[in-house]
Amino acid sequence: MKRTLTAVVLLGFVLIGFGFGQAQKPSDLKFPPLTFNPPDPAAYRTVYAGGLRAYVAEDRGLPIVTVSALIHFGGLYVPQDKQGLDTLMSQTLIRGGTKTRDGAAIEERLDFLGGSLSFNVGERTSTLTLSVLSKDLDEGLDLFFDVLRNPAFQEAPLALAKVRQVQGLRQANDQPGSVLSREFDKALYGDGPLTWQATKKTLESITAADLKAVHAKYFYPKNIILTASGDFAKAALKAKVEKRTAGWKSGAASFPVLPKSFPAPEPGVYFIQKAINQGYINIGHLGIEDTNPDYFAVQVMNFILGGGSFTSRITMKVRSDEGLSYNQGSRFTYRWGFPGPFAGYVQTKSSTVGYAISLILAEMNRIRKEPVSDSEMDTALNYYLDSFSSQFEMPQMIMSTFANMEMTGRPMDYYKTYRAKIQAVTKAKVQEVARKYIQPDKAVIMIVGDFDPCNKGGDKWPGPLDKLGKVHRVTLIDPMTGEPAK
Amino acid sequence: MKRTTALVLAVFFLAAVATAGEITLNVQEHVLANGMKILMIPKPGVPRVVCHIYFNVGSINERPGITGIAHVHEHMMFKGTQAMGVTDVEKDSAIDRQIDALMGQIYREKYWKTDGGDKAKITDLQKQVDKLVAEEKAFIIKDDLWTHYMKNGGTGLNASTGEENTGYYVTLPANKVELQMMLESDRLMNAVWREFYSEKDVIMEERRLSENSPGYFFNEQVNAAFYAASPYHWDVIGWMDDLKKMTKADLAQFHDTFYVPNNAVAIYVGDFDPKVLLPLAEKYFGRIPKGPDLEPIRTSEPPQYSEKRLYGEGPAPTSLQMMFHTVPAGHPDAAPLQVLGSIFGSGGGMRGGPRGGGGGGTGRLAKALVEGKQMAVSISASGRSQLYVGAFQFSAQPRADKNVQPEDLEKEIWAEIDKVKKDGVTADELQKIKNRSEAGFIRSLQSASGLASSVGRAELVRGWRSILTDIEAIKKVTSDDIKRVAAKYFAKDNSLTAIYQRKMGR
Repeated sequence: MKRTLTAVVLLGFVLIGFGFGQAQKPSDLKFPPLTFNPPDPAAYRTVYAGGLRAYVAEDRGLPIVTVSALIHFGGLYVPQDKQGLDTLMSQTLIRGGTKTRDGAAIEERLDFLGGSLSFNVGERTSTLTLSVLSKDLDEGLDLFFDVLRNPAFQEAPLALAKVRQVQGLRQANDQPGSVLSREFDKALYGDGPLTWQATKKTLESITAADLKAVHAKYFYPKNIILTASGDFAKAALKAKVEKRTAGWKSGAASFPVLPKSFPAPEPGVYFIQKAINQGYINIGHLGIEDTNPDYFAVQVMNFILGGGSFTSRITMKVRSDEGLSYNQGSRFTYRWGFPGPFAGYVQTKSSTVGYAISLILAEMNRIRKEPVSDSEMDTALNYYLDSFSSQFEMPQMIMSTFANMEMTGRPMDYYKTYRAKIQAVTKAKVQEVARKYIQPDKAVIMIVGDFDPCNKGGDKWPGPLDKLGKVHRVTLIDPMTGEPAK
Repeated sequence: MKRTTALVLAVFFLAAVATAGEITLNVQEHVLANGMKILMIPKPGVPRVVCHIYFNVGSINERPGITGIAHVHEHMMFKGTQAMGVTDVEKDSAIDRQIDALMGQIYREKYWKTDGGDKAKITDLQKQVDKLVAEEKAFIIKDDLWTHYMKNGGTGLNASTGEENTGYYVTLPANKVELQMMLESDRLMNAVWREFYSEKDVIMEERRLSENSPGYFFNEQVNAAFYAASPYHWDVIGWMDDLKKMTKADLAQFHDTFYVPNNAVAIYVGDFDPKVLLPLAEKYFGRIPKGPDLEPIRTSEPPQYSEKRLYGEGPAPTSLQMMFHTVPAGHPDAAPLQVLGSIFGSGGGMRGGPRGGGGGGTGRLAKALVEGKQMAVSISASGRSQLYVGAFQFSAQPRADKNVQPEDLEKEIWAEIDKVKKDGVTADELQKIKNRSEAGFIRSLQSASGLASSVGRAELVRGWRSILTDIEAIKKVTSDDIKRVAAKYFAKDNSLTAIYQRKMGR
């Protein structure tokens, strides 16, 4: 059984040459036709008493129910001197108990039932999610709405949450990846509500009264969209929800105005010192909002540049050809109400940091200068068209997507028109949006790594790093104090 | 349904969740003549099918010198075959053989000679290699398999290697499953490992990413100290030296041994008709010749007969870990140990599942030490049984503001262990874990890819039905069982205690 490489090769020829009379290459395969129509949001939308909107899907296959409340409140609405309130709220909305229940008892009971209740505050939205066996739905809904309507933020759980959060601050500069993403945001958005950070002082200043005030301001029916899926009848669920939301008054919160445009940072290299054996790198600038009419063309363009994993240019060049990295590519991140970042990214050993950056910049320039190939377009368009149905695999995920679309003001025909809009993207349009939205000469090149070996470079790209632009040395903030780290 | 063995297994729930009714996990299974298993779970819904293939091979099938090769091999399976990823296979192979020969000489210089070899000679050889690598690019179609999956709407495209198994994943539109069968059977039979040397560089970068995660080096040592003899001793990524020095011949031998149909399970979950799918599976996977039978690994972990302690410092949070050797999956003590792990470390009504932990939570340790005595910011426990080994593990982070030391928490955990040894656990605690395990099972049936993963992997170890029998075993656990296993396994000379202090500067 000593099979040498030659023997493997010969065996391969035999199989190909004298095959089994069946398709041997993917291009030989003929697939039967398949049609798929995306679900229509209107078929699931309902409005309960009190103006509480909901997306509801019956799904009787398994005896479980998931109910979720999407609330228009997030960390970006927290003032500078109360930074960290969003994470404290995440930890205490349930744990802090209600007017009539102890937080630990709520968790204990759900745990005993094999259910779960979780709360998370995001950038501009928050989500409370209940999952229970359908036999426990009544009890689960009692707890869900009690937490949603009557949180008490009791003293002991709040104090404990603060201690844990303060201790967590010590680790804020530990992970190179999270340091990079935080500092890259700071470079792109400047100092403001999008980049303020919690410190020991802000965390310790937060009181139960602060949390209650935020709750009173944002948590009311018209500022919430409910989603539900699972083993229930729609009419019965409506009755259950309305019973538990009776008397819940609506408010009219005013939302802090967030900046929409940001001063452009000085292009060049921004270096953050950390004694590690790789450089963690982002190269980019602000991108677009997903409501931009060019959104679909940008998606296709970025798929070809660095978003389409192994079929994309950056991965082929930096990883597959050169073996410089495990993780690399480019991405447009979308944020609600203002442009998210665009970044090429890679992590590579110190000696190839400059080389990897130069390759990514070259790919950014190439997609601006030359039209993409027919086969690249073919792969990208077919990927988006044929993977479309994958966005609708789980009912709860679909309901939550619809709720998010409505809350963030995206057009509700987004999925209905999705495939036509992808099909309309042309090679010329791809090049046009590359020129418009990718500007390597304006890029911030941010590196977290060990300066001396990164600056020295290697055979294929000897340093220094200032060949890539002016080098700025970034001093990290001590997360405990908010002052420059020693 | 002529050739399939349809198996319908009903699970009946205890009175506590009786109205949850009767849940059926319906897996259609078929064994091809070459020993490959085909499992099918039709699940109506969106017209897509999750297609996974699992091999009963992982890092425990390695040995010193080739640690990490199971994972390297998984990467190399994306590098083409006789038919895929190449324009002229003959010319390409000729170049590839020359590259291998030159690299063989470089390795002899660099790694066989104690002084690192003749630098000038290495540089010269490397130049020849670089030239050939550039020439070979003309014949390589980059990531051909990946591109075919992508342009046919493949999602969830990936592969992963663990200690015990390796999986290859894609989810396709329901009309295109044949593509997966063609491509997967092709790479099983006809794999060619192009660009081996640059891919090893990629994997070394992958290892460096782990190394730059604070605490990684310490945890790697903890694991290596805990498993002295068994091949769980090294991490899946392997030691850097082995990654550098392993050869393509090592890879070929590994492939021929483990990548045989009788060591594989293909599983399909989604919207399909088994009567259509199975003949296609026969056609593509049935053509692969059966391989030799595989011997289980030989070295089990011997008793320690000594207490192990490990101290480290670095840029991660100060922490305590306590580990105890237990039993492999399927052993009668596995269920009581798992239940005890949940009772100690239960994550509460938060995300994290039965092995979760975190700070809050309804487990005994969090109640006692995070909330009660306020000595820890977080604490967790788990009793986990694997194919050949088992471990019961505690992890905790002390409160820095109160200057609590890991050793203080260690004493507290021993006190909690002693309580269990003496008094067992309460009926309520037991019932909670049982309810959670049943609800968790129902939840696991929701996601097609989650189901493919749990059923496919379980099939490799003790058969997919073990998912159900394990739940039955948990339901039978008593307080006396727990007292018994606590007395048996929580002993100093069966333990490793790892104490890590945060210290910046590296």
